[in-house]
Amino acid sequence: MKADIAVVGSGLAALVATRTLQQAGRNAVLIWPGLSSLYFTYATIDVLGYSDLTTTRPVEQPEAGVAQLIADHPDHPYALAGLEGLRSGTTLLIEWLRAAGFAWQGDLGRNLLLPTAIGTPKPSCLVPDSMAAGDLRRDDPIVFCGFHGYEDFVPELAASNLSRSWGRGEHSVRAVRITLPSFEPGNLFTSIDLARSFEDTTFRREVASRIRREIGVDGVRVGIPAALGLTHDTDVYSSFAAEVGHPVFEIPTLPPSVLGLRLFDRLRKHIQESGVEMIWAAPAHEAEVSDGQCRRIFLKSAGREQPIEARAYVLALEDTVDGALRAGVHSMVDPFFHEALAHHEMPTERTDESLFKPQPYASIGYRVTRRLQPSDDAGRPLAGNVFVAGGAIAGYDPVGTKSRGGLAIATGYRAAQEAMAA
Amino acid sequence: MITEETETFSDTVEEEAPVEACTKCTACNTVCPVARSTDIFRGPKFLGPESERYRSHQETAVTAGLDLCSGCKLCEVTCPSQVTIQEYIRRAQNKGAEEGGRTLREWVLGHTRLLSTFGSMTAPLANFGNRNPLVRMLMEKVVGIHRKRPLPRYQWLTFERWMKRHPRPRQTRRTVAYFYGCWVDFNERRLGEQVVAVLERNGIGVMIPKQKCCGIPAVVNSNMDLARKYGSENVRRLSELPADMDIIASSTSCGLMLKHDYAHLLEINGAEKVGARVYDICEYLWMLHEAGELDVDFQPVPMRLLYHAPCHLKSHGIGYPATRLLRLIPGVHLEEVDEGCCGISGTFGMKVEKYDLSMKIGSRLFEAVKAAGSDSVLADCETCRMQVEHGAGSRSAHPIDIVARAYGHG
Repeated sequence: MKADIAVVGSGLAALVATRTLQQAGRNAVLIWPGLSSLYFTYATIDVLGYSDLTTTRPVEQPEAGVAQLIADHPDHPYALAGLEGLRSGTTLLIEWLRAAGFAWQGDLGRNLLLPTAIGTPKPSCLVPDSMAAGDLRRDDPIVFCGFHGYEDFVPELAASNLSRSWGRGEHSVRAVRITLPSFEPGNLFTSIDLARSFEDTTFRREVASRIRREIGVDGVRVGIPAALGLTHDTDVYSSFAAEVGHPVFEIPTLPPSVLGLRLFDRLRKHIQESGVEMIWAAPAHEAEVSDGQCRRIFLKSAGREQPIEARAYVLALEDTVDGALRAGVHSMVDPFFHEALAHHEMPTERTDESLFKPQPYASIGYRVTRRLQPSDDAGRPLAGNVFVAGGAIAGYDPVGTKSRGGLAIATGYRAAQEAMAA
Repeated sequence: MITEETETFSDTVEEEAPVEACTKCTACNTVCPVARSTDIFRGPKFLGPESERYRSHQETAVTAGLDLCSGCKLCEVTCPSQVTIQEYIRRAQNKGAEEGGRTLREWVLGHTRLLSTFGSMTAPLANFGNRNPLVRMLMEKVVGIHRKRPLPRYQWLTFERWMKRHPRPRQTRRTVAYFYGCWVDFNERRLGEQVVAVLERNGIGVMIPKQKCCGIPAVVNSNMDLARKYGSENVRRLSELPADMDIIASSTSCGLMLKHDYAHLLEINGAEKVGARVYDICEYLWMLHEAGELDVDFQPVPMRLLYHAPCHLKSHGIGYPATRLLRLIPGVHLEEVDEGCCGISGTFGMKVEKYDLSMKIGSRLFEAVKAAGSDSVLADCETCRMQVEHGAGSRSAHPIDIVARAYGHG
């Protein structure tokens, strides 16, 4: 199959790149290797939460923080994408979210500080409206509300952790639990099951009234696990918050992320219904390179290898999450050029024993040129018309610095620009 | 224990995805149309790879809940680790049926071809019966096919017999083999005629190899042995064709069986070679177009069309060639609807206890179809078309119908 530009990936970087191409009137095809990383991640858009891996002080102004980062680290992927890439990509995404019917808020000027499911404050830049009331820069007391039998959110843990770090006085944070109608605490249920139930008006009203009764007092805001609907979440949220009678905010829980699912499903549907073709179930691999240009890549389609012949390619793979990079015992290899991206004597060198320390595997990826082309050890491009975006770029830890979303946007936008110019 | 003899480790990267590749991410459960619509189904993750870890050949199969898997394969499409989730479910279900015996309904629905042969021979009577409330009530009681589910109309003149009378074009560039499947043969001969007309218009002759049912109705009705029997026979016949002859299928699921499931699920010898030569009809026409060989002298077809991509088409991993093709035709106003599975999944939505569930799964699509108000809904898969007609009350057609019209074969 022939295409103008082929985008490989399904996460935020791939979506932003594809949207950039579509808005520029180019014919893009989106090759989807499997589920998006958005399903596994928080799905708030974090531009820069911490300026490095050692500081505990969150960044307040993400745009200024990125500008400083670029000045300090001229080889950082943000520097390659440029501040302009971040700005333009963010504008494009915000407009797209609006067009696809999302209610989101935030801007590059300042970070919100939102409580996580374990009660730690986390800086985020763009968030759904349904999370905004959790902003810890506000002072009003917080009640974490959990559900009996739902083990992915423990309100007592969140409350006890947050009361230590947030410190707005005694009684400012507490935890309650309610029993959900029609959910037996002994049964196994997930956030997805909950999200579906919340789309039912009767269920939602009953839960709201139980929460209201349990809380009793006025003047608090209520944090509940992110499960307020899958497809009609905007309506579900506003009616539920009104019924609870307090400001309500959603807190993302363990994967699969309801927030990520909403985001990916609707953006995918929107871009597809507006005419961008998606190729499902066809992991892309194997680049055919001649004279420094990638001529074709191959998809593992049913029955045979399917060549895709494009003028340029955007590889928006998602590092270790989606299995795009192949890990052997000693080396990590990319599927297109078979470059060894990392080599370890022992596989244990890829990880740090402490879960909360920076993980070496997180920064494994393609070395890239200043134009985001994948490059060899000597910095020469492996193919002049291939551009890398998002987590597949080496040399940064998107989780540790809370910058996954911003980098996906900036590099996705920039890679698409480069692909159009190639 | 980690030894120091690092060189004894193999550094090869696993390419196949065994059950251990499942990271329990739950992605499959989130996209499963059945799990999205009922809480009695625990979803593909639990019934597929998670249960698979506890299954053993010696023990009796535990089949509870497996019948709720409709076989749409969206779990496999979605799996970031390419785990063959649905195949684990089908194998366990088949093992259970081998041990515990099959129901009358499994036998009937698995033998679609036999049934269709009979239905076609007695077409007026069979069609009358299939629409008679009394017969349908009996059918529901005895066989377990829901009385509200419209059954396909049989035609007396089969495609195979039509093809025998069809005059061969004098000059052709090459000849392809057409795997028309039971649907075209017994229910929608017109689609087969259109496929032949479109190919011949492009200088491509069509021959029809002897063929059996592709076997998918048997696979999803716990009878993999029967499917393997059909499949082996098809592979044998198709292998006898000249090695450079392409094989065309116009049914999404038949095509997927030939391309992939014969070799992987049913493990039929020689199936991979055959599968590599199989093309969906729209995929094939698009290839002709890219090679500059497609006649694009289309007449305008002024129609508002809505395209629904069948789940099994996604499994082909070829994108949506029909939409590319249709955009070449002047006058066509094409919109795409992305509301997921239509719910019927072949014989799944015909079953008495699954009918309501099947309609619930499709409800999002039905609403979108009704809201769009198009002249016709296009889908490559025949049971998707049946379901959309039934659930949304709209007209439907295979994309080839529009291409044939554009060539003047309305």
